[in-house]
Amino acid sequence: MTDAKSMSVARVEHHRRTRKKWIENTVWYIILILVAIITVLPFLWILITSIKGPNDAVVSIPLQFVPNEPTFANYVRVWNQLPIGRFFVNSIFVGVVATACNLLITSLAAYPLAKMNFRGRDAIFYLLLATFIIPAQLTYIPSFVLAVNVFKYYDTLFALIFPSLATVFNIFLLRQAFYSVPNDLIDAARIDGASELRIWWQILLPIIRPTLATVAIFTFVNSWNDFLWPSLMLHQRENMTLPVGLVALQGMFASDFRGVAAGVVMTVLPILIFFIVLQKQFVRGLTGAVKG
Amino acid sequence: MTKKLSLTPYLFLAPALTIIAVFILYPALAVFYYSFTDYNIVQAPKWVGFENYQNLVSDPIFWKALLNSFLYLIVTPILIVLSILLAIAVNRPLPGINAFRALYYVPVISGTIAVGIAWRWLFDYNGGLINGILVGVGILEQPVQWLADPALTLPIAMLLTIWIGLGYYMMVFLAGLQNISEDLYDAAAIDGCNAFQKHWYITIPGLRPQIVFIAVISSLAAIEVFNEIYILTGGLGGILNCGVTMVFYLWRQAFRLQHAGYASAIAMVLLLITLAFSIINIRLLERSGQSQ
Repeated sequence: MTDAKSMSVARVEHHRRTRKKWIENTVWYIILILVAIITVLPFLWILITSIKGPNDAVVSIPLQFVPNEPTFANYVRVWNQLPIGRFFVNSIFVGVVATACNLLITSLAAYPLAKMNFRGRDAIFYLLLATFIIPAQLTYIPSFVLAVNVFKYYDTLFALIFPSLATVFNIFLLRQAFYSVPNDLIDAARIDGASELRIWWQILLPIIRPTLATVAIFTFVNSWNDFLWPSLMLHQRENMTLPVGLVALQGMFASDFRGVAAGVVMTVLPILIFFIVLQKQFVRGLTGAVKG
Repeated sequence: MTKKLSLTPYLFLAPALTIIAVFILYPALAVFYYSFTDYNIVQAPKWVGFENYQNLVSDPIFWKALLNSFLYLIVTPILIVLSILLAIAVNRPLPGINAFRALYYVPVISGTIAVGIAWRWLFDYNGGLINGILVGVGILEQPVQWLADPALTLPIAMLLTIWIGLGYYMMVFLAGLQNISEDLYDAAAIDGCNAFQKHWYITIPGLRPQIVFIAVISSLAAIEVFNEIYILTGGLGGILNCGVTMVFYLWRQAFRLQHAGYASAIAMVLLLITLAFSIINIRLLERSGQSQ
């Protein structure tokens, strides 16, 4: 009798648990979907606007969600008037060159800071720490003067690449990564007669590859989204990167909502596809970024 | 580590130090000098002593910019709380959770400029999505002039910062959550902790390194905000300068009004603020580094 009773109690308990779990999951899904809607809605609205025909209402209350005359004419118009393809090529060129060179230069600098003993190491380290505090925007006035008068690269992509060749933040992240490499490994290589350059290239860099990937992603995304400095440097349309070009587009198509929307879709879509393809690496890179 | 008297460490450091000296150290010193001059970038700077700083003190827009930049710091605690909550939500092993994680990351990938342009349409007076929905549902009787209301410019910009940053910070916290041992939660469940207590006593202390990292990164980004303001106000700073922040005012004085000397004085104030912040941040980082 008591056994049967306790069994039924257990069954009710089990039932109650699965029910509770089910309710809990539903609540989580509702939260997740709500956040997803808030995230996607602006993009969806832009996408809808970009394919609206001339007789579809762009500005109206109530809103018109479904275009009656869906068209790609807006895309064609924007594509013909602005070198969107060039914006892409420029952004990719700057991002890839700046990121690759930055990683080489900063990892080369991080190695002695982490693993060598030499005169002035602490002084150099604190000097770097001090420059880390300086906001990038503070340097723009003298950098502008340098670009125009000294380096003569105003209105070229080099104006974007050169200042971003070395970043203190990356030196610190990579120095931290080199720290975790055992000294025995480096000493063994030294006894074998390997040069420091070879140790850096053939032993250290492969070991810290996860950190390198993370730093590369950060550096590339920063370069890709950078706006203020490129907007000061790039003047001619053919030289613009995507964010600068987008602002130019917004100026050109001021009251043409459909055109601006088409331009935004054209610039966001490729990077989205790139992200979806590389999603695993992105997430892995990010999750490896801050391990405390 | 063996003590070596060789040139190797210096050679390894040379490229990075050269770049940093030219593009950060020299500009910082030059800005300090320019701040005591009357300078318009084209003609040679003229020494004026403390005149720029005296003008700064009696410039109401400067004080407004200073206040706005500090107000902008509100985004940091909001971002931390929201992204921890979101990270807890996407850390659950629900089916399809990877799709949600990727989706929340889309605004980060798209960049402030593209997203900001989309937002301008959202908050448009006639037929923007926000007015359309709120009037359609009946929450508002009349459309609201979102971006023309001085009181709303800054909050809308902050909302944009939060909306973009959420996915990025969520990923960082997610990485942190996955490092917290499952055993701790099981032990807490046995001790009779409820869900809230579990997160308060285990999740929050476990995420300490990530919280400190994000507090540093996002508070510096908040103090130096520019893109959101530029895009939402069309480069004008909003009605009655309601959206003007430190960096925006620096940019306007230097590159719109050719008052590079005056802008340099603003830059020095910005440097002092970030210096104070960085000292606090470095203390926090050191402490969290020791606890690891």
